[in-house]
Amino acid sequence: MSSKPHGSNNIAHARRMVQQLRIEASIERTKVSKASADLMNYCSEHARNDPLLMGIPASDNPFKDKKPCTIL
Amino acid sequence: MASEKAEIDALKKECDGLRTQIEAARKAVNDGSMTGASGGVASVGRVQLKLRKTLKGHLAKIYAMHWATDSKQMVSASQDGKLLVWDTHTGNKLVAVPLKSAWVMSVAFAPSGNLVASGGLDNICTVYNIKAASPKTLRELDAHTGYLSCCRFLSDSEILTASGDTTCCLWDLETGKQKVVFTNHIGDCMSLALSPDMNTFISGACDSLAKLWDVRDGTCKQTFSGHTSDINAIAFFHSGNAIITGSDDCACKMYDLRSDQEVINYQDTSLNAGVTSLALSSSGRLIFAGYDDFNCHIWDSLKGEKVGVLSGHDNRVSCTGVPEDGLGVCTGSWDSFLKLWN
Repeated sequence: MSSKPHGSNNIAHARRMVQQLRIEASIERTKVSKASADLMNYCSEHARNDPLLMGIPASDNPFKDKKPCTIL
Repeated sequence: MASEKAEIDALKKECDGLRTQIEAARKAVNDGSMTGASGGVASVGRVQLKLRKTLKGHLAKIYAMHWATDSKQMVSASQDGKLLVWDTHTGNKLVAVPLKSAWVMSVAFAPSGNLVASGGLDNICTVYNIKAASPKTLRELDAHTGYLSCCRFLSDSEILTASGDTTCCLWDLETGKQKVVFTNHIGDCMSLALSPDMNTFISGACDSLAKLWDVRDGTCKQTFSGHTSDINAIAFFHSGNAIITGSDDCACKMYDLRSDQEVINYQDTSLNAGVTSLALSSSGRLIFAGYDDFNCHIWDSLKGEKVGVLSGHDNRVSCTGVPEDGLGVCTGSWDSFLKLWN
């Protein structure tokens, strides 16, 4: 923790803290049940396009080392 | 003096009242847990990713990496005093940027791919043009009074930095000057992440708090508590409505921005190592978290369960990143190697 400044700095600091807490206290809050549902919906909507969930076919895998080709 | 004391006492009382009010408001919307809600969601099963490439080239600990928006190039930073830009599809090194100061802690790729930035114990964020014939220093952003822990470009003309001096800062790259300074943390800022719509960003700090900021007006809009040690890593969930944090207290947490509170804790009694870095898969369902135990553990973000592990590094995993196309995960380590998995 920082050491407390003396004199009028103390009041300025306390006033800033009150102002900050007023901002944080004033927001509208959504129910956790709704927030959870939205997060779950987002994941399920995007799941089929998530390569790390669905797997990547070898031919489409940019990181997989390709075996060298031989011309017969 | 007595009137001063009286005013301070009144202000302190108002602070306490506001804190109680915030806690009560959070409790009032806490009508169920995320793990309870996700009980009906299908399990992802065991996630087994294969090591596809090991990128060798750095000669010392890697501290940071960042994907380019093309999902192909990637930049890494090592305390060997170099930034390396890689083509991750071929494994080739494209550009090497020698650093004035070897004590680098962060690196970033601009969305355009034209610029990279880095900084560390020199307290400076240096921006380089890597499209020039040889890498050219574009700007040295020098105003922080503590180490540079993280930097992220908004565009080729603006960059956000987080510093050990407890502040974050938005810089104008055309003038090299600070546009906005974000002050409210009481500990070193360790990490930052920009929201998908770029109007807000989040920071994690050694005061164990995560904060949400308005990029333009500098105000701290929300503060998230719960961790019991330094927050080293932070990321936005892709919808923009939740954030994930990783901490030295060995846990990761998800906080929902609209409920203004923690909704899941990702912790395992067998995991006694601090979290250094984290990244999400493209749907947000998987969290890749790098730990001091040399591994990157994979979490199911909705159910809060460990579903896999990326093992292979011989030292701490210091950085983790998933490219925009979601086709893989990159881990960087103090063992000097980067590994690509999918």
